[in-house]
Amino acid sequence: MDIGTVMNTMRDPAGVPAHPVLFQALMVLTWVLHIAFVHLTLGAAGLAIFSFHRCSREGYWERLSMAMTKVAKVGVSLLIVLGVAPLLFTQVIYDPQWYASNVLSGRWAIGFIFTLILGYCSWFAFYYANHEGAKRHIGVFAWVGLLLFCLDGLIMHALSYQALLPGQWMDWYAPGGVVDTRGAALHAIQWPRYLFIMSLSVPAVGLFLIAYAHYFARREDREPAYRAFARSLGQRLASRGFVLALLPLLGWQMSHPAGSGLVAHPVGVLLVLAVIAMAGWTWRLREGTHGYLPLVGGLGLLAVLALWREVVRIAHLKPFGYDIANYVVHIDWPSTLLFFATLTGVGGLVGGYYLTLIYRAGRVQGLYTASRGVARLGSGAVAILAVWIAVFFIYGIAIWVRNSFL
Amino acid sequence: MDMLGMYPTFYVPGIGTAWVMGIIGVIHVVASHTSVGASFLFALLETKAVRENKPQLMEFIRKYGMFLLVFSYIIGSITGPGIWYAITVASPRGVGGLIHNFVWVWAAEWVYFTVEVIGVYGLVYLIGKVDAKSHLKLTWSFALASWATMLLIVGILSFMMWPGHDNWYQTGSTNDAFYNLNFFAHLGTRTGSMFVMAVVVGLMVASRIEDMALRRSVVKFLAPIGLVGGLFAVMMFLYYLQTLPHNAVVMLNTHLLPVYAQGMVAVFVVSTLWLLFAWWKPHRIYTALAVAAFAFIAVVGVWPEERMRESMRKPYVAGQYIYGNQVIARDVPGKGISGEVDRIAEKGLLQLHPFIPDRLRVVNDGNRLEVGQLLAKVACANCHALERGTPLRNIPDKFHGATDEDLIAAFLQGPLKHGAQPYMPRIDLPETEVRAIAHFLAVTNSGQDVERLIAQQRSATRVAADASTPRSE
Repeated sequence: MDIGTVMNTMRDPAGVPAHPVLFQALMVLTWVLHIAFVHLTLGAAGLAIFSFHRCSREGYWERLSMAMTKVAKVGVSLLIVLGVAPLLFTQVIYDPQWYASNVLSGRWAIGFIFTLILGYCSWFAFYYANHEGAKRHIGVFAWVGLLLFCLDGLIMHALSYQALLPGQWMDWYAPGGVVDTRGAALHAIQWPRYLFIMSLSVPAVGLFLIAYAHYFARREDREPAYRAFARSLGQRLASRGFVLALLPLLGWQMSHPAGSGLVAHPVGVLLVLAVIAMAGWTWRLREGTHGYLPLVGGLGLLAVLALWREVVRIAHLKPFGYDIANYVVHIDWPSTLLFFATLTGVGGLVGGYYLTLIYRAGRVQGLYTASRGVARLGSGAVAILAVWIAVFFIYGIAIWVRNSFL
Repeated sequence: MDMLGMYPTFYVPGIGTAWVMGIIGVIHVVASHTSVGASFLFALLETKAVRENKPQLMEFIRKYGMFLLVFSYIIGSITGPGIWYAITVASPRGVGGLIHNFVWVWAAEWVYFTVEVIGVYGLVYLIGKVDAKSHLKLTWSFALASWATMLLIVGILSFMMWPGHDNWYQTGSTNDAFYNLNFFAHLGTRTGSMFVMAVVVGLMVASRIEDMALRRSVVKFLAPIGLVGGLFAVMMFLYYLQTLPHNAVVMLNTHLLPVYAQGMVAVFVVSTLWLLFAWWKPHRIYTALAVAAFAFIAVVGVWPEERMRESMRKPYVAGQYIYGNQVIARDVPGKGISGEVDRIAEKGLLQLHPFIPDRLRVVNDGNRLEVGQLLAKVACANCHALERGTPLRNIPDKFHGATDEDLIAAFLQGPLKHGAQPYMPRIDLPETEVRAIAHFLAVTNSGQDVERLIAQQRSATRVAADASTPRSE
């Protein structure tokens, strides 16, 4: 059977509840947030381990190791929760590819969950034990955690990459015509792509350190020498990290299929230029540059990467006649409104309150007393949730009564 | 070309993908219900701490919060997407159907998840670092946001059982799917249970408090909340049973209650006694006892509850329109969906399924066993193991080890073909496919090594094919 026709038939018959491009845009945007925390977590974990082994009683390495251990701990939580959205939106418009790829490597898809739990628990053990004068052997927990995180990255990479190769699915599922339902193999890995994305963890933690030094400028317990150390280290990690990332990126660029038009595609070229630009900028970063600006630049680079991933996906699937634009649409306004109202109302007010409170409290040594504006934001957060829940029930009961009793 | 939008099959011998999903699901339910329930305990306790000027209560919240960070926000938050991965490999069309009906609901839930994860870190780490009023707002908003995640997921879970009315099939509207007949009953049951779970976990944390006055104060506060939550959960569960479809009631009465009823009663009795004891003798809440009570309630209580909920849905996985074996069971005009059972009856799975190798599309003596095995995996293995003596309703034992192909075929062409078993899908297959499945099951029941036989037949067929191919030399 023609695999292009098969893929179009495998689409969910219910169609999608809004224009597919809307899901595509949300998928790309939310992936930027997800991958940013992936990079930060892996970079912070790597730096925490490096600092842990490096630390003598002198210098700031021990302190840095403890700080980065905490960053990685929080980072994993956020990368998981932020990964839910792109996973969801991918399943809406690329369901045939994503599901087929997962089923073909079923054991790995399930293994991903358990290895992630083990990795995170191991990292937590390291976090609890990594205090001043910590014993050396606890570093094992950190290594186990980081290695499992890298394995999980590899599984996700393989599942995503296999989804781009529908022409090979049947060969993987039934090699030689013999069906294999074990899902025991990762069938395709594009090492340059995986290594490029992973390598961005090094500059990511560098950019974070520059911002970290800026953030704590008002805290007396984070003395200028420590902040200068963090900023200088961050600058080195960022500039050298971007240079390092260029190698696998160029390898990835060269490995695109002939005739796909990807090798010299403008977005791919833009990505290469963005990495070079970030390397140059961070190499010569001026003392007066705002500490958060390089981080913003890094997010911009990730936005280009997210866009590039999507361009690559489209280029791989187009020859098979798969185009999200012709997915059947059954517009569902109430649930569309539910999402966007929740995103702006709850995400904006409640998320905004939490982030503001955490951000401001962290910059103060001792007790932080909320300003009038923050206090209002807090009241608004509770109020919007009360309103949301009230509307949810009133609206729901009306529909429930109509459908069940009238 | 006529084909169905079926996926390749992932098969886990013995326990099937159903148990893989069940194990991950149970871990997630325990962790997530604890988290949502605990968020309200925090809010109530903190309100008490602020009103009565008892800052020492915040120490308990901090300790419990730290426990939650590991238990709910590592294990719970990973197993949440873990359920997606599990159902993806178990029922790709089932999860696809849910995603395409509820994507915006899930997306709204994601907003809450994100807020919740940021919130729990703020809640734990800002104790004593921000003014009391700001922290209290954080805690209350965290509780409401946590419960909102439950409000949103329960609508989807209860739709998986059934919409409870015909409207959704006609309109295809998410509203009609989400606010289904058993939504509120289901929500009430889970809301009550979350308090029980959170209090039981809270008692574990409280058992570690060395300040006896503080321990007494905390336990005396928590225990009655757990008791009221438990009572509410039981009442709502009884109401929930009244909102179930016929197939679920049959499944419940014939297969589930005989197995799980005693355990459910035991969990109810043990949790009630445990909470009453805690209320009565708060200083006697020893950690070992608290951990044992938690483990008992989590394993004996939640596992059967989740297994029952999953099993009662059978033969469907979503909205009574997608069977467990991935076949669309009926038309849904509101979404432009057409049932596939009759098409399969006419043309057969071998012709319509896109992931059947060409050499197996036509049954012959050389591949009948192999085709039978593959068809059994495609059509049956979502709910049944194919190996004798294995725990997931294995088919050989269901046939009591029968080796008579005609007897097995009679069942396939009788009750199964006509959908006469309320908890089984209607599987109407052409004669050759029925015979292939019956052959496979008969050989399995005879105790022969099926894999070895298939390998032998395959090589024999290859040798015969090679022999019949003229040499070019």
